[in-house]
Amino acid sequence: MSRITVPIGPQHPLLKEPLSFLVSLEGEKVMDSTLRLGYVHRGIEKLAEQRTYIQNVYLIERICGICSHIHSTTYCQSVEALLKLEVPKRGLYIRMLLCELERIHSHLLWLGVLAKNIGLNTLFMYAWRDREIVLNIMEEISGGRVSHAVNIIGGVRVDLNDKHLSLLQEGLRELTIRVEEILRAIESDRSFRARTRKIGYLSLEDIKRYCVVGPVARASGLDIDIRRDAPYAAYNELSFEVPLMTEGDVWARSILRILETIQAIRLCTQIIHNLPDGPVSVSAPRKVPSGEVVSRAEAPRGEVFYYLRSDGSQKPARLKVRTPTLTTLITLPGQLKNMQLADVSAVIAGVDLCIACGDR
Amino acid sequence: MNIEKAVKKLQEVLNLDRSSTKLMPMNETEITISKQQILLAVKTILNSKIWHLSAITCQQIEDGFTLLYHFWKSGGLTLRIRLDENKPQIESICSLIPGAEYYEREAREMFGIEFHGMPNPIPLLLPDNWQGGYPMRKKELPSNEEHNSKTSQKKGKSL
Repeated sequence: MSRITVPIGPQHPLLKEPLSFLVSLEGEKVMDSTLRLGYVHRGIEKLAEQRTYIQNVYLIERICGICSHIHSTTYCQSVEALLKLEVPKRGLYIRMLLCELERIHSHLLWLGVLAKNIGLNTLFMYAWRDREIVLNIMEEISGGRVSHAVNIIGGVRVDLNDKHLSLLQEGLRELTIRVEEILRAIESDRSFRARTRKIGYLSLEDIKRYCVVGPVARASGLDIDIRRDAPYAAYNELSFEVPLMTEGDVWARSILRILETIQAIRLCTQIIHNLPDGPVSVSAPRKVPSGEVVSRAEAPRGEVFYYLRSDGSQKPARLKVRTPTLTTLITLPGQLKNMQLADVSAVIAGVDLCIACGDR
Repeated sequence: MNIEKAVKKLQEVLNLDRSSTKLMPMNETEITISKQQILLAVKTILNSKIWHLSAITCQQIEDGFTLLYHFWKSGGLTLRIRLDENKPQIESICSLIPGAEYYEREAREMFGIEFHGMPNPIPLLLPDNWQGGYPMRKKELPSNEEHNSKTSQKKGKSL
């Protein structure tokens, strides 16, 4: 049978961000695929070398429009390690609160994208409606819906007041009900199962070989979570479970992300109940002593990695960012092989790509 | 602890003395090895059941290039390798860890490091018709100016 090549992207209704796939087909079956990155490459690592440590906090947030807070958290964490600064407990708790709210909003956003890609428009609307609850809370706390600029070197710039706390309690209570309803719906829905079961399979072996992280790895049975295995901020003071599944397909990834959302809601509740008193930040010097540091954090999509080298000046000598999307992208051609063309949309949505993160 | 065991094993297999090992902030151990030892070192690490390579950081420091291979298993393990300034090249580790492909491709196009045996030596982030040399370098190497002008001429024709 003769092969035809179908381009998906860089601009395509399936993709929310520019990425280019060339899918080679025999009939309806995908035989081979190649992908090309770089359509939103902004050279942020190079830019960071030309800006001061303080300016970089705001630059780093713009790596990604969905998980902006985790990037600035990891960056601030590494600068604080070089400065040997101790961030006040209340500051760390507010940082974690935003991290978890961001996880909820990212997972609900992703669920909407997946539902839309597989034609379940009702689920898409429910997911994005419920995501508004989190966005409103975050807007109330920080003033921004997706770019929060909450982190500063040495702590956070906002404090929580009684109004925030009551808004959080009310919002989280409502979210718990809604998310559990979504979980029940997708667990029992036949068409959802039919479109996602045994699609985009990744074995545990492949996960390890390709160094995949985050929900995609956990859905294939790899028990890895930076929050639990190498706690940063104050995660060692909170108790939470890390959901794990072994099916390794888009269905398992979906259920797992919803379970993670429920855990994130619980974490938020724990954080606001145990919120310590005191200041939220300490002042930090502008110059950072020379040294090197490696910092990791658990973003909604998995481990995010920062390497920072300082030469004693006001600007970093090298800042390296490795985002979780880069690890899942490399597995996509393997996942797409032997799939039907109609399932390509489910596979691409299932791994939760964030191209802006991958390109930097 | 997996990391401590792996560090001991590495020192034993590669014949390194204690001064090669340093502790970094945030629970990270760093070992300096030579570039000929890379494949053996990665094999030893994989045998110690550490399979997760977080990233490969490349940087240009005054007297040459440095490659950092960051492994992780509940704690960090970083391999530090110095590369010659005039001919930055090293063996690719993609045969052992296929997930390293993107990291190596990025270091190749941003810094001009040559990885021998790389499966897919094409640009990852930069445009296909990029003519600006290696953007992440802090200074251009004398031996490479000629090479860069040659490649840009070649690409210029095909456009």
